[in-house]
Amino acid sequence: MRNFNKIRNILFLPMAIFLILQLPMSVSANRATSYTYAADEDKHWERTQDAYLPDKTVTGLGLSSPEDLFIDEDNMLYIADTGNRRVIKYDINSGQVAGILENGELTGPRGVYVTENGDIYVADTGAKAVLIFDKDFNLLNKLTRPDAPIFADTNYEPKRVAVDGGGNVYLIGEGVYNGVIQLAKTGEFLGYFAVNDADLTFSQRLQQLIFTRAQLANLVDINPTVFSNVFVDRNGIVYTATSGTHRNGMKKHSTNGGNMFKTDVWSFADLTDVYVDGDGLIYACSASGYINIYSKNGEEIFEFGSYVTTVDIAGLFTSLPSIAVDVDGNIWAVDGAKGYLQSFRPTEYAQTVYTAMNLYEEGRYEEAMEKWNEVLRLNQMSVLAHNGVGKAYLHAEDYEASLEHFKVANNKEYYSQSFWEVRNTWIQKWMGLVLGLLIGLLVLRGIVKAADKRHGGRLAQAKRKIHARAESIPIWKDILYALKTPRHPMDCYYEIRRYRQGSVAAAAVIYALFFIDFMAYKTVKGFIYQTVKVENMDIGSIVLGFFVLLGLFIICNYLVTSINDGDGTFRQIFMIPAYGLMPVMIALLAVTCVSYVLTYNESFLLTLALLIGVVWSIVTIFIGLQTVHDYTFGETVKSIILTVVFMIIVAVIGIIISIMWNSLYTFLTSVGKEMIQNVF
Amino acid sequence: MFFDKREKGRKMVLALILAVGLGSASIPARAYVSTNRDTGTAPERAEYTPAEYEEYELLLETGTVKYYWREDRDVLAVVDKQTGYCIKTGADLPFPGDVKDAVRALEKADASPEEILEAAESYPDDLNSTYVGIANSLITLEYYDSDKIKYISSASEEDAESALSKVEEGKYCLDIQFRKPQVQMKVYLTLGEDSIDYYIPFEEMSGSGLNSLAAVDITPFLGASGGRMNVMNPETMEWETVDSYRVPGYVLVPDGSGSLIRFVDNTSVFNPYEGDVYGKDYATETNYSFAYYDDVPVKDPVMPVFGIAHGNGQMAFAAWANQGAEYMDIVVNPDGTKATTYTWAYPRFELNINYYQLYDEQGSGFFKQMDEIYRYDIDMTYAFLFGDGSDGTPAADYTGMARVYREYLIQQGELTVREPDSQDIPIRLDFIMADSKSGIVGSTQVEVTNTEDVKDILEQVMSRGVTNINSGLLGWQKGGESLSKPYKLTFSGAIGRKGDFKELIEDFAQKGVDISLSRDTVTINRKMVNYYNTAVKCISDWYLSIDKSAILPDNVPTALFSYAAPVKTAEWTKKLADQVSGFSNSLTLTNMPHVLTSNWSRDGVVTSLTESVELYRSTLEQIRQETRLNLENPNSYLWKYTDRYLQAPVGSSQFIFETDAVPFLEMVLHGTMELYGPYANFSFYTQDCILQMIDYNISPSFILSREPSYKLGDTFSANFYSTEYTLYEDLIQTVYSQVNGALGQVQGFEWTNRLVPEDGVVINVYQKDQETRYIVINYTEHEVTYQGITVQPESAAVKKGVTGNG
Repeated sequence: MRNFNKIRNILFLPMAIFLILQLPMSVSANRATSYTYAADEDKHWERTQDAYLPDKTVTGLGLSSPEDLFIDEDNMLYIADTGNRRVIKYDINSGQVAGILENGELTGPRGVYVTENGDIYVADTGAKAVLIFDKDFNLLNKLTRPDAPIFADTNYEPKRVAVDGGGNVYLIGEGVYNGVIQLAKTGEFLGYFAVNDADLTFSQRLQQLIFTRAQLANLVDINPTVFSNVFVDRNGIVYTATSGTHRNGMKKHSTNGGNMFKTDVWSFADLTDVYVDGDGLIYACSASGYINIYSKNGEEIFEFGSYVTTVDIAGLFTSLPSIAVDVDGNIWAVDGAKGYLQSFRPTEYAQTVYTAMNLYEEGRYEEAMEKWNEVLRLNQMSVLAHNGVGKAYLHAEDYEASLEHFKVANNKEYYSQSFWEVRNTWIQKWMGLVLGLLIGLLVLRGIVKAADKRHGGRLAQAKRKIHARAESIPIWKDILYALKTPRHPMDCYYEIRRYRQGSVAAAAVIYALFFIDFMAYKTVKGFIYQTVKVENMDIGSIVLGFFVLLGLFIICNYLVTSINDGDGTFRQIFMIPAYGLMPVMIALLAVTCVSYVLTYNESFLLTLALLIGVVWSIVTIFIGLQTVHDYTFGETVKSIILTVVFMIIVAVIGIIISIMWNSLYTFLTSVGKEMIQNVF
Repeated sequence: MFFDKREKGRKMVLALILAVGLGSASIPARAYVSTNRDTGTAPERAEYTPAEYEEYELLLETGTVKYYWREDRDVLAVVDKQTGYCIKTGADLPFPGDVKDAVRALEKADASPEEILEAAESYPDDLNSTYVGIANSLITLEYYDSDKIKYISSASEEDAESALSKVEEGKYCLDIQFRKPQVQMKVYLTLGEDSIDYYIPFEEMSGSGLNSLAAVDITPFLGASGGRMNVMNPETMEWETVDSYRVPGYVLVPDGSGSLIRFVDNTSVFNPYEGDVYGKDYATETNYSFAYYDDVPVKDPVMPVFGIAHGNGQMAFAAWANQGAEYMDIVVNPDGTKATTYTWAYPRFELNINYYQLYDEQGSGFFKQMDEIYRYDIDMTYAFLFGDGSDGTPAADYTGMARVYREYLIQQGELTVREPDSQDIPIRLDFIMADSKSGIVGSTQVEVTNTEDVKDILEQVMSRGVTNINSGLLGWQKGGESLSKPYKLTFSGAIGRKGDFKELIEDFAQKGVDISLSRDTVTINRKMVNYYNTAVKCISDWYLSIDKSAILPDNVPTALFSYAAPVKTAEWTKKLADQVSGFSNSLTLTNMPHVLTSNWSRDGVVTSLTESVELYRSTLEQIRQETRLNLENPNSYLWKYTDRYLQAPVGSSQFIFETDAVPFLEMVLHGTMELYGPYANFSFYTQDCILQMIDYNISPSFILSREPSYKLGDTFSANFYSTEYTLYEDLIQTVYSQVNGALGQVQGFEWTNRLVPEDGVVINVYQKDQETRYIVINYTEHEVTYQGITVQPESAAVKKGVTGNG
């Protein structure tokens, strides 16, 4: 009785609901088992917000060495269960097996593809055929070895298969290096659809260039990298995966078999599969357990996964032979060694990135910007999103707003475009005023000069006095002399040779100023021209390199000229470069300052200025060396060449000594440790 | 009486479950598919027949259980007196050779079929004699034979002898003589009302082979399920292989918040689960250098506890270490591992390690083991649980395991139940203030929040009605945290001077908002401090090196890190706390609470793990006399000093064989400290996450900044992808109001049970005095009706006003 009362209490006591929640259901990023990487503004792979998270793990299918996956429009996942000689049809929506294709003809099913009408193509290495079944698993056809003479002795063991809308069959054959085997619906050999170029090493290229035909024939065969998979999307576009290379391992083919990607596409060298979803996003996986996602143009979007051997964690694979993508955008993967399925669900972050990319491609820039801003809410560091927002602003002609985004994304090309517009607007607005001010200043100068003249030239006198006082400070006078040297190099260096002008102290100050100028040029140029961020620079190496090179030049030139009848003393040689540096110093300074207001369109101005500065300085220094050492032109050239050679020799010796010192240090510490361990 | 109470309760729970299950108002469009990040429904009832224990000796009978001992196999049987259900410490199997020899002898002697059948005891098909010994044993030793680990068990056929003797009533001693390696040891068993305690004193271990030992494993097959037996067919008189009965049940492991590994037959062969309690001791790993890679590190157990449950609320045990926890691994071999069909779990206490002794920088070296094994006593308690908990006693499932472990910790004074400060749940709002990136000369400070910004943001949040706030300030030092010394109060004008911090903290303290400085006092790098006499030295006499280049931007000032020696960490933490105590009532510590290492020199151990634990405990005990402590994911030895548990794990590491994630940790700690989830910024704010916060009884936390976080892109804090306050002002209010709307109703209540009536629906049960409240969390995409009230898809509802214990 008491029992009943308790139940009744539970069932009928007055209760209140305090809470009804409704936020969009999505997947939490708290569950990642591997980090996601995306290209940063400098095209380095950097860790980013999670893009995909492990979702369902299906361990109960009893798979044995499964090799290939395919998902049809009904969200049915087909698994080539190679070790069990069968194909499993798995219903993703219900999480149940929908059918098992077992047939006596199946001896080693390694590839599976399902056409839009439901026909199942199975590449069977053991049967040496492609077996075609209808949706009820009845065997329709068997494509055995083509009898075309051109196919001749080529191995025919199909391991992956794909079919286009016209019924053409694309095969990856075991041990076939010629390319993707293309068969007609009837099984007739149509040719090799795509061919990979052999990836030659430097020495192999050299051999190709210089060896005779006979010598080349004696070399080991150079085979092209091997196709590992083929996929045909529903638009009939063929994609291939190639293993053995990091460059262009994943290709999207035009109808003639060429690669449609305009730029190089990076991929893992152990690429095993490529898959394309309804939106054209390309997914590729590697045997070592990584999954990469590319845009339809081959731009890398995300990479995740990791190689593990000692732990079994969802989302990490011992071996990853194949992936497929379901109708909801979830990635399905299969562990080839352990035989289980793993799905990955895209996070809100990844989904928003894809939506924004699609909207932008469709030209719906405003909607795209909205989505890109959503991406930025999730990841303020997303280079993709900053680029997206920047471009959307650019299209909307809000150039000012786009600048910051392009800056964060380090997109100098687009930044330059926006900046050109911003600057143009500024010029249109303020040019009149600026010109007016300049003319006004010139007029004012003229008036002041005229007035000064009328009143006895006091201002001019004062100016002369200041100049004279400055010149009376020895080091200042010597520094100012560097301004004169490039204009009259022969005369000036002659004075230096005679010890009548210049000083070592002034040269040291000039070197210091040049160093500051050089560092400013390296580190604080305008955004468009600052190609390497300060954070990415190895400042230590730059500083060391600067002084080592300079020091080496001076010392080596001294040594070389000492034995070649050069008249210059060490002090003079120290001074020669310093007094010739002014043109390049001015050029560097000018370039640094002007880089803030120029766009890419005017980059030739900077190049020209720099070129003039450098050439002028080199010529000045050359004349300086010639004058101070009292050389002919030929002797000067010879001494410079010898100096450079000597510099290289010294550098090589330095490197050798440092390596030996390291070895010696290691040897001594090892001996020391041994002694400590064994003796004490 | 006890039985009646349990039966009544069970019916009630069934009624409750039925009410929810049958009341579902609509059919879902697409089935809710549960994953191993959810909790599934309870296992089915285990079938059993109460056994006779003829070969056993009754050791003790208590009000709850009977303890039987089988001397020849070293098996202790624990029998529930009310149901007759039994869990044995070993698999209780004969050696195949013995059975076959006996049968062969009878067959030769032309014995009758009856006689042969009687002798033909079923014997295991998938275990060799070594494994039979291990499966039966009370103690198994792992020892090094060269570099390889081998096993020897107390129930070994030839290599060991053991004898149980009575010490006093309820206390016994198992004296074990291992022959190879030659080791003698004594295991003291204390049989309680419904618990067994194992005590292995180091002083009573001896023998010439002692230093070759690798580990001690206690009752490896206790509660194991599975097996394949050779059974003699009485009709054909032939041996036939038959799968043993698979007990419905699971192993609970403290992976993350807690995880269940159900007893299932796997078709794949997996590696074992090896949970290193308190994480790896990096100083005694094989190598001195480590690198983060592309995979997220697994979640290390923060408590030395695991358990096994049989059936649906039938019998279970929770086992925890009282001593030796810092050397403990929790090992689970799911079906298929080590070529057996059993799922078995046990605690492993490490005694020696195999490491690589380098002797030059080129990596030349050799493998070796320590000359002497670790010296510590092992003490494990196994508490047995019975029934479904409807009578108010801890249920024989993971919730009961959590309750019994929690009770133990409360008894030990490690946990104290506290009244909440407010009826509203708290929220954690941390701020990232600054960090460093590479500059032209050295590094450059990047500041994204200053003290004024913190003040403005907190005031804005409070003006929106969120007032029970506490806050930690990250990167408050000049140049941020990464390159500044852990113990130094260095300030910069751009972030805030000391006076600004003092004013900020004191002002908000008056408003009831606790602001603390946050600092990692264990992670170091060479740009921060000199390693000499500071960094952890590994057993190989090399400084520990941790390479984080895979998870940091390419251009950070350094990607190589180490850990400070425990003595230094303790010293710095105390020094920092002393300096901070002048203007703050609390301190936030990151990493230090869950990083535990030893420290070594050429002469041997300088600080052992046990000493590190004691050092950290005494340090925090001193600090806590004046300062509240907010600790990031602290190990259990620091729970006594924890006021706020930050970054509480939600879910597990997702091992493939883990079938369910459960809030075991949260159940243990509920009501004893404030628990906060991972930062909601990083996609932990979606609907299922909010439901999970309610389900797991954790408060939300955010990390904020005034400036956009892309400014941190080239710093060590580049993983804070999105922190700008303006992006989160609405979300903070939304998430808080929803979580508080549910959990605010059960503040001060004890969380007593957690039921899963169907996939995707969780009912949490809370009690206070005589009142019971429920929170129903509906993760599914269809409505469920609970006691006449409909709970919308992906939402939660609170019911209150139910009297009695539910």
